[in-house]
Amino acid sequence: MAQKEFSVVGKATPRIDGFERVTGKAEYTGDVQLPGMLYARVLRSPHPHAKILSIDTSKAEKLPGVKAIVHSFNTQVTWASGGLTQKRMIFNNPVRYVGDAVAAVAATDRYIAEDALELIEVKYEKLPYVLDAAAALKSDAPKIYPKGNLSVGDGRVTAPIREQWGDVEKGFKEADKVFEDTYISKHVNNAQMERRVSVAKWDGAKLTVYASTQGISNARGDIAKALDLPLSRVRVVCKYMGAGFGNKNQAQDYDMMTAVLAKTAGQPVKLEFTREDDFIGMHGRWASEQHYKVGVKKDGTITAVELNAITNMGAYRKQSGDLTGCDFYNIPNYKKVVSPTHTNTVVAANYRAPAYPQSVFGFASMLDQIAFDLGVNPYDMFLKNRVRVSKGKSQFTSNEMEACIVEGAKKIGWQEKWHPAGASKGAKLHGIGMALGGYPFRLGLGAATIRLNPDATAHVIVGVVDIGTGAKSTMAIIAAEALGIPLDQIQLASGDTDVTPYSIGESSSRTTSFTGTAVIAAAEDVRKQIFAVAARELEAKPEELDLKNGIVFLKSNPGQKMPLVKAIRKVESEIIGRATTNPTWPEGFDGKCFAAHFCEVEVDRFTGQVRLTRYVAAHDSGTIINRLTATSQVKGGVVQGIGMAFTEELLIDRPTATPINPNYRDAKVPTHLEVPEIEVLFVDASDPYGPFGGKPVGEPPITASVGTIANAIFNATGKRFKELPITPDKILRAIQV
Amino acid sequence: MKTFENVDVKSVKEAVGLLQKFAGEKKNAAVVGGGSEYLQLMKVRVATPDYIVNLKTIPGLNYIKEDAGGFRIGALTTLAELEEHKGVQEKLLFLSQAAGEAASPQIRNAGTVAGNLCQRPFCWYFRSASHVCLRKGGEICYSVAGDNRYHAIIGGGPSYIVHPSDLAPALVALDAKIKIAGPAGEKTIPLEKFFVTPQVNARRENILGPADIVTEIQVPAPKTGSKGFYYKARERQAWDHAIVSVATVVQSGSGAVRDARVVLGGVAPIPWRVPKAEEFLRGKAIDDAAAQKAAEIALDGARPMKDNVYKIDLAKNLVRQALVASV
Repeated sequence: MAQKEFSVVGKATPRIDGFERVTGKAEYTGDVQLPGMLYARVLRSPHPHAKILSIDTSKAEKLPGVKAIVHSFNTQVTWASGGLTQKRMIFNNPVRYVGDAVAAVAATDRYIAEDALELIEVKYEKLPYVLDAAAALKSDAPKIYPKGNLSVGDGRVTAPIREQWGDVEKGFKEADKVFEDTYISKHVNNAQMERRVSVAKWDGAKLTVYASTQGISNARGDIAKALDLPLSRVRVVCKYMGAGFGNKNQAQDYDMMTAVLAKTAGQPVKLEFTREDDFIGMHGRWASEQHYKVGVKKDGTITAVELNAITNMGAYRKQSGDLTGCDFYNIPNYKKVVSPTHTNTVVAANYRAPAYPQSVFGFASMLDQIAFDLGVNPYDMFLKNRVRVSKGKSQFTSNEMEACIVEGAKKIGWQEKWHPAGASKGAKLHGIGMALGGYPFRLGLGAATIRLNPDATAHVIVGVVDIGTGAKSTMAIIAAEALGIPLDQIQLASGDTDVTPYSIGESSSRTTSFTGTAVIAAAEDVRKQIFAVAARELEAKPEELDLKNGIVFLKSNPGQKMPLVKAIRKVESEIIGRATTNPTWPEGFDGKCFAAHFCEVEVDRFTGQVRLTRYVAAHDSGTIINRLTATSQVKGGVVQGIGMAFTEELLIDRPTATPINPNYRDAKVPTHLEVPEIEVLFVDASDPYGPFGGKPVGEPPITASVGTIANAIFNATGKRFKELPITPDKILRAIQV
Repeated sequence: MKTFENVDVKSVKEAVGLLQKFAGEKKNAAVVGGGSEYLQLMKVRVATPDYIVNLKTIPGLNYIKEDAGGFRIGALTTLAELEEHKGVQEKLLFLSQAAGEAASPQIRNAGTVAGNLCQRPFCWYFRSASHVCLRKGGEICYSVAGDNRYHAIIGGGPSYIVHPSDLAPALVALDAKIKIAGPAGEKTIPLEKFFVTPQVNARRENILGPADIVTEIQVPAPKTGSKGFYYKARERQAWDHAIVSVATVVQSGSGAVRDARVVLGGVAPIPWRVPKAEEFLRGKAIDDAAAQKAAEIALDGARPMKDNVYKIDLAKNLVRQALVASV
């Protein structure tokens, strides 16, 4: 589908709030200072599994400056988003992992709050525990929940997760060869820049929470429900947000702790997580053990795939625990059984494209290995098996995966640079690899209000929080395009539940398609009202008019025109347009964005160190609304994949069950030096259902990156690394000089 | 972080006097230069000092002086200043490079040369407040039963930390000396003798007493025909300690080695000099076979734990590469 002519959409537009963000003028949640505000810190369990017998706060209370202490014996508040299948409280008893919250203290400064934590005396009765997911599923394993350690379903999520189509047994019979192997991924933290922080203040019976959230509307709902307040008495504000990558959706325990502490103390409270709190107190990506059985024809065509996997969800199940990396391939016969499992470790849940990068690593490695074993060029293997039909039955609303593969390969020079795995010689081994990725594209509930001011400027009022993606700018661009006024005439009002309409939450790559669609509809509402007024002035029918660049004109005769500002003056005051949208596509369709990634590496035979020398990411995200922020999204996702491929893993010390690297230094999150120039390519695409033809770009970039890098290391060394992260020690052991 | 009192001092004498006073009063005091390393310990409450004696306010401790005898480097010289010093770059390029390999640009701008040599271990058990390990007065070294991928393969026991400094191996390879001020006055000793193994003291990495302060590092002028190298293997190209590093100085003449220094970092609780490898090299022409043999000798006696066997091969490879590059 050819792209339409746009005036604002599709350009490289700097963020509308970029200046405030880079000059330190933007007020993030951590910057909020209120008169009389207290500071809070959280006490965490040192035991992986224990019953709390008693909590004695008498010594802590005597410490001058301590104003409130809350814990499971005086505070019973539900943390709805903390557990889908269990009722999880903000303080739980028993505690189920090292890091489970035990108490929180508010004091006149941070240091007193921390000192007070040391004075709280907790008596524990230690319980047996289990750290390994596979071990947790054995019948004699210590039970974390009465029904056992295989997570139970509750309607929203199932256990085990099963999916199938076709007939795998038939598929394996049709195969010329059947391959089996196991791939392992580890728990990695989202490691977003902004640590968790919440500020709560009560004005009589009304609660205001300055949150660091990826969704103010759902955060408000969660807090109201947890504290039994009407929605009108809860206000959630988040004007600037420093990222979360899925671990700040909705409201989390610290928001409720802060509210309760503020209520108890009768003063506003700011609760801040330390970086260590952030690594262990919330969640990271679920680790997995993936066993594949893949049937192929001699030429590499897949006939059947069976996946049996265990995912480690830690002590509570906040999200699915699924593995969805097979989504990008045409698999005629498919069977998947994934067992989300509880262990006494840090919780695992959403981290950017939650079920993808670890799973793409496994399956793209599997296919790359099969290509090698069959003597097929991986490019042909991936191109041949790329997905055409969704889940064996549905049509995609748009699918440019082929263009991603072809154009990305051309850009990196695949045909000239590829060589059989292990063929590179010398001190530095050259490798090239690729993998496919993407993410579901969905439609859903969105709401927006647009206020056209008497001077022809406009306010776009949306519930969106800009979590770093540039969503505020995207909404402004969509509004400018849809209204027909210049971008610099648009102001955005966002991130305040007392003012802004509902937003689903800025996660799962939904903001542009859900709220963006509503912004277009609200703009149409404004235009309708303007055209009704202007029609009289221009002596035309409203439907004959158009508005572009602030000028209302007759479509058939653009010379017959009037400035928008003149039309508005005919109205008493301002024009309000509003829309709540919830579009769908016909039965039998499915939406997806697609990506093909390519990279080159250089492996040092003497040290096992890998240098990424080149990275090409080709994406089908439909029409690109803002090329600048879309490109940044791709680069950021790839960087996170680099960390996951090479270094990141939350290590739990076995003898003490304690995380031992919960910080930026030891988790070895990548720096600029690990990152080559990332060449981002958006293939020409447009989706019939997306706003202006756009599809998501937030989640997809991380999906293919880990598998791409792993395959390049295989190409360089001739050794297959089946367990993440692929660190120098593993490489050194495999290649031996 | 625990609340503490900061004391700015104006002279080395004042600092030593204060430290003596605090020690006498059984107060927990610490000296801080750049503070970039100690602050990390304070934030996780592994260090909870009552007093911080801030040395940064002492005038005249930040200098690099060069004369015929070599370089004298003031304790408060930052890593960035050492890295960028023209004379050092010209005469001892690998020392400048070793300084540049440390931490990150921001930390190198704050971190001092003396502070780099006096770093506490970056062992994750030592840096975890919940693990009261041998080095913090506890009973065990958690690395023995735990995750020891980054721990010592040589010279360890009963504690298996590795010394984290990038500068130390390079300076030891250069026969550097260290000047220390204390209650009994000043003394200058070979840097090699500054570090202590856990067999001597499992709670300290060096000989400094509670009221001692490092004031200067002295680096002799390089000998004619000598060439130095510093290689660092790491998992991340910035802000990462050496998994293994090697510093070599080889003095050659008439096609053979006259004298050599081989010092390993990241493998032992102290910068690990290997005299046997140095001895082997003396009088030899270095080729790949000789370098490989020297590397074997250097790692002779290494006793890896379950997760750090790879360090042996890695160290051998680095020694071999450094020696081959030295001729």
